[in-house]
Amino acid sequence: MKPIDDDTLQAYVDGELDADAAARVDAALAHDAVLARRVQQARALRTQLHAAFDPVLDEPVPARLSALLQPPATPARTGGRHAHARHHRRAPRRWYVGAALAASVAVLAVAVWWPHAGGDMLRMQGGQSFAAGPLERALDHALASEPNADAAVAIGLSFRSNDGHICRSFVLRHAPARAGLACHSDGGWNVPVLTAAPAPGNGDELRQAGSGLPDAVRAAIDARLRGEVFDAKQERAARDAGWQ
Amino acid sequence: MNSSDAVREGLIPLLPRLRRLARALAGQAADADDLVQIVLERALARAAQWRPDAALDKWVFAIARNAWRDELRARGRSQHLFAPEEAGEMAADRASAQPAQQLELAMALAALPPDHREVVALVLIEGMSYGEAAELLEVPVGTVTSRLARARTTLQAHLGKDT
Repeated sequence: MKPIDDDTLQAYVDGELDADAAARVDAALAHDAVLARRVQQARALRTQLHAAFDPVLDEPVPARLSALLQPPATPARTGGRHAHARHHRRAPRRWYVGAALAASVAVLAVAVWWPHAGGDMLRMQGGQSFAAGPLERALDHALASEPNADAAVAIGLSFRSNDGHICRSFVLRHAPARAGLACHSDGGWNVPVLTAAPAPGNGDELRQAGSGLPDAVRAAIDARLRGEVFDAKQERAARDAGWQ
Repeated sequence: MNSSDAVREGLIPLLPRLRRLARALAGQAADADDLVQIVLERALARAAQWRPDAALDKWVFAIARNAWRDELRARGRSQHLFAPEEAGEMAADRASAQPAQQLELAMALAALPPDHREVVALVLIEGMSYGEAAELLEVPVGTVTSRLARARTTLQAHLGKDT
């Protein structure tokens, strides 16, 4: 049998071989300890690189970067207007962009975040959205029974969902106002739904019957609610227990 | 909806990966985010050049790689963007404490020649195939594999020191 050369071994580790070639390497590895050790080392390198750099994925994105991707505040564009106009003249395929975007809106909807005086409110982890910054702090500490009209985040209903996790609805007061639901898990506050909201009132209003919550958030609550929402005492007890 | 809106919105979910790529290329967190800012500005300015049938991530990663090369040229130091002690500091200033081995690996990556560092970033960290990396870098696949092999040898020597 032909010996396994370095390029083949590397391609094997990187998943670049077809099934037949990979099977040949598998067979060689079974009785060649030196070869097996080299494969192990190459895999360890890849693992270590991910361990060194993947934490960046979970860092909050600096506001100065996410701010660049904000939609213009008004129809009057700033800055790059002339550049855009120039590009458009030589880009006759604009219609196509809209179609592609429409198809991707559903994907984008789970990954919305926006700059805020206190930093970013969401972070992505493992393809899911988690609360970050002021939102995470409010979910951790704020009580709907002690509303703070000045806070950026108003907490609404808290309850234990049918999968055992504690969920809390919230409203982000700063324009554009948004409402959502966050459910506590090992990785933090997972945010399964976040949507545009009417301008919120104070926390008391929210807590009473969840009035003012958008339909999408109400539906998310209905889908998870088992039993009753927490009263003030239960809410405080849940916070003191770390939302477990 | 115009092309710049489409690119702008499409970039939002790519930001974490773009920051990881920039960190792997530029090393220091502040430099990496400066690079990301340049990339976002370029991507928005060139939004009309993006073909919607092309993957936005690969398009913007190519912009990132080219912007990084431009920065290297502007600094006039093609081999070492940071002195090793700076690389150590950049690794040390990360929010979460990391094992010494990872810090050393990040320093070793920062010390690689740019040709090697970019294939490591694209293939081993971003997870591109050899073919995808070759297309992005505009080199033959064989060039990617040979650079990757040499980069691996160097990096593994660092890993091996501690074990």
